[in-house]
Amino acid sequence: MLELANVGKVFQGKRKVTALENVDLSIGRGEMVSIVGPSGSGKSTLLNLIGGLDTATSGEIEIDGRRLSGLSDDELTRLRRDKIGFIFQFFNLLPTLSCFENVAIPLHLRGWPKKKIEERASELLTLVGLAARREHLPDELSGGERQRCAIARALSVYPPVLLADEPTGNLDTHTGAEILALIRDLHERLGSTVLIVTHDIHVAESCARLVALRDGRIEEDRAGRRAAIIHDPAETH
Amino acid sequence: MILLKLISWPYVRQHLPRWLLTIAGIVLGVAVFVGIHTANQSVVYAFHQTVDRIAGSTELQISAGETGFDENVLDRVQAVPEVRVAVPVIEAVVGTGVQGQGNLLILGVDMTGDRSLRDYDLESNGQGGDEGIDDPLVFLAQPDSLMVTDTYARENHLAIGAKVPMSTMDGRKLFTVRGVMKSGGLTSAFGGNLAVMDVYAAQKVFGRGRKFDRIDLAVKDGASIAAVRTKLEALLGPGFQVQEPSARAQQFDTIARVYTLTANVTSVFALFIGMFIIYNTFQIAVTQRRAEIGILRALGATRGQIRTLFLGESVVAGLFGSVLGLLAGIAIARGMTGYIGSLLGEIYGIAQKADEISTNPMLMTFAVVLGVITSVVAALIPAQSAARVDPVQALQKGKYQQLSAGENRARRIAALVVAIAAASCLLLERFRIFFYVGDALAVLAALLLTPTFALWLARALRPLLRWMRPVEGTLAADSLLQAPRRTSGAVAALMLSLALVVALGGLTRASYDSIFGWLKVALNPDLFVSPSQSLTQRDFRFPESMGAQLRAIPGVGDIQMVRDARVLIQGQPTMFVAADITELRKHATLPPVAGDEKEMFRLTAQGKAVLASDNFATLRGFKLGDVVDIPSPSGVLHLPIAGIVTDYSDEQGSLLVDRSLYKRYWNDTTVNIFRIYLARGAAEAEVKRRILEQFGNQRRLFVLTNRDVRRYILRLTDQWFGITYVQIAVAVLVAILGIVNTLTVSITDRRRELGVLQAVGGLRNQIRGTIWLEALAVGTVGVILGLALGALQLYYSLHISAEDMAGLRLSYEYPYPIALMLLPGILAVAFLSAIAPAETAVRGSLVEALEYE
Repeated sequence: MLELANVGKVFQGKRKVTALENVDLSIGRGEMVSIVGPSGSGKSTLLNLIGGLDTATSGEIEIDGRRLSGLSDDELTRLRRDKIGFIFQFFNLLPTLSCFENVAIPLHLRGWPKKKIEERASELLTLVGLAARREHLPDELSGGERQRCAIARALSVYPPVLLADEPTGNLDTHTGAEILALIRDLHERLGSTVLIVTHDIHVAESCARLVALRDGRIEEDRAGRRAAIIHDPAETH
Repeated sequence: MILLKLISWPYVRQHLPRWLLTIAGIVLGVAVFVGIHTANQSVVYAFHQTVDRIAGSTELQISAGETGFDENVLDRVQAVPEVRVAVPVIEAVVGTGVQGQGNLLILGVDMTGDRSLRDYDLESNGQGGDEGIDDPLVFLAQPDSLMVTDTYARENHLAIGAKVPMSTMDGRKLFTVRGVMKSGGLTSAFGGNLAVMDVYAAQKVFGRGRKFDRIDLAVKDGASIAAVRTKLEALLGPGFQVQEPSARAQQFDTIARVYTLTANVTSVFALFIGMFIIYNTFQIAVTQRRAEIGILRALGATRGQIRTLFLGESVVAGLFGSVLGLLAGIAIARGMTGYIGSLLGEIYGIAQKADEISTNPMLMTFAVVLGVITSVVAALIPAQSAARVDPVQALQKGKYQQLSAGENRARRIAALVVAIAAASCLLLERFRIFFYVGDALAVLAALLLTPTFALWLARALRPLLRWMRPVEGTLAADSLLQAPRRTSGAVAALMLSLALVVALGGLTRASYDSIFGWLKVALNPDLFVSPSQSLTQRDFRFPESMGAQLRAIPGVGDIQMVRDARVLIQGQPTMFVAADITELRKHATLPPVAGDEKEMFRLTAQGKAVLASDNFATLRGFKLGDVVDIPSPSGVLHLPIAGIVTDYSDEQGSLLVDRSLYKRYWNDTTVNIFRIYLARGAAEAEVKRRILEQFGNQRRLFVLTNRDVRRYILRLTDQWFGITYVQIAVAVLVAILGIVNTLTVSITDRRRELGVLQAVGGLRNQIRGTIWLEALAVGTVGVILGLALGALQLYYSLHISAEDMAGLRLSYEYPYPIALMLLPGILAVAFLSAIAPAETAVRGSLVEALEYE
């Protein structure tokens, strides 16, 4: 489903910073993979490259058999909206729109008819347990509810790939566990490929596969619920 | 200072384009202010300078308005024992006919006495010196003698003995250069385009008969100028003005008062509008930098220090913008001075030559100070908001502090109070100050209500935008609803600009309608015979006898002889028009604003009364039946106003009397214009040809058709209202600046939101669409509010124009065509303004946008 071959990313500023170097990674359809590593290890960069939010300096990335290199901005956007759902640490809901409208936005962007949008958004809100909050503004929701809303938005077209950047990072332990359970449940029910970038070892271990990054390289790639990842305690929440 | 360096400077560096947009408001304001003032001042200064340099050591000047006076007055003045020297002067401006040389100021003087007042320092002709002029009798003996300045001689390659052609009242004549004046005080008058000739020759050249325009004099040593002045005033009577030379220049200021006032309003308006742009940007800066402010507060900065920090930034921005504005203003002035000079020359018939700009250090300093003050005033409220930032809330990531909670209600109440006060002022409008205060309060009420109205309108637009584009439209409307502060400054600036455009447009339209009406009923002769192409120039005059000659030309029906000149009435220059009223009434209708038409013509024709123009009556406070004291060289006339009529002959107002009365009291039979009505069946072109054929070689003369004159008057009107177009240009610039500013801030503010949109599948065009729609929404809101406020401002403008400026009662007509043009025009401008910000929004890094906080 996701193929990364020799991927590198260098940021050119006053000083050259190598964020990723020679990363080779292959993730199959329906896998649930966590990406862990200390701060600055390149995990968010890796997620951004896979999500088409950023472009690699070197190497090749393929999503569902489609190479990302050489795609125009609009082609990348189309790929993103058809194949990828994003879940952010800070939810990134649009503050002026209701819960329902936030979920409906990607569908509007795709030009879906109004009736179909209504059906799908309602279905997704029910799926994440927010049917009763449909007209609430993000400000009127709890942290967990906001993330549920963001997950519903990410699932709007049931994309084959779900990318989550620290999905529990801004939540308390209990709510974090609930969100994780929801993601796992959706993964199992919908069969999406899920990539979670996290600092939280419990979140990481709950995934079937764990990829550890350090200094822009893959340090470890193994099955989950096994050895603990050594990470910088100062970075933990 | 250290905070400015550590906190403000990095922010400015990081947001340079936005900072430049902020100062653009000041640059624009100061540039227009300095440009218009400098250009205006340069023209006034040029006139003052010409008057001053021509005066030489003249201590007093005697005149009788523009009408001139008999030669014998000179003898009476010279007989006054305290008068050391008194010399006659004739002054006229003639077209040189030389390409690129423009007009030449001719000074007709009596060389025998004039050298004791003016210094004619002559260059040697290389053939025995300047002996030709050294003996003034030689100069006098040859009436074709001319002295020119060295600048003029050099530029036109004229040497002693060179022949200069000039059209005179006796046809085209050749004059001989008999002297070249060295550079000095006198020669720099009128930009160096000056020539001196004998005063008696000048009488013939300009058709003055046996009259002088002026007497220049100096008093004997030990005599008091004031005492001599009083003595001469008593001797000559009220028909004469005995003044110091500087008073002449002051009359120019009086005549050009309306123009100066209009120009000043434009320049201050530009700065006022600029203030809203600065306010807008500073308000946004406070919102965006709340975290930074929170940190500073947490580190121990007091509210006062935060306030000072923002005010300090506004001082720096004001200073920087003002200096740039100053430079731009000087450039504008360079471009405008010549234009304003010729405009004032044509409109008021007062010649001056202003090629160089005069930069007044006081004005420059004042402009910089004004720019800085404007900037600081605009930043006051944002600085206060910054000082009120709660550090705890400000430091919570993602939490936006609502600074405006409760503000709207208070503002609405204040607006209501101010609006009631404005309405109350209308009840007291007979006290003019209340009318002006009422206008200012009405604008203030509108400004206070702008955020509320903008919010309501944005709400009303939301369904429409949503219907147009479900996502982009909704987000655009929400952006306005979510952050009214972000847009209120731009909307206010737009509203004010457009209100002014509507008010000026309405005023212009009403003026044109009224002028057209007047042209139709009053200015209906078929041909006009004038000694100059410009009907406002009165330097050349025809002899009355020419009337009979014209009448004898086949095809000529009726003839009206008109003599117009400015005379001082109540100490103010007033246009005095003398025409044969009985003849005038045969063809022209002058429907009275006040008075009985039949009776007013009867009394005026008998020389028992005057007709006053509507603007004269309004501006000078005269009513029907009031007696006007008109000083003439033969004594003061006390004539009642028999009728008040609409007349556009002069901006300051005019008085119409019968020609017989004028001839009797001014002893002046000359004519400025012959108004000719063709005989039945006569062809206009044929009669024109015959007139030119008969007089073309004998006299300086122009035959203008009715169409020519209409075109000329409308061209003057167009030029006059040219200043309106400057205001419209400023308004459009403000619109662009305000919208670009708002959108730049908006996309920075909504960077994450726009990033999210792209992340969840928004195509670039969809993001662009959001920004474009937001710009269109801002434009629409601004236009709606501007058109509404414009309706109110038009009412005030018409009243101000009627009561205090032009004295013309114009009917209220909302300028719908302008309003209809403004909506698409401003929307197009809004769209264009949105292009660059929209591109910035779609081309930024998505990753950074999503991490943006």
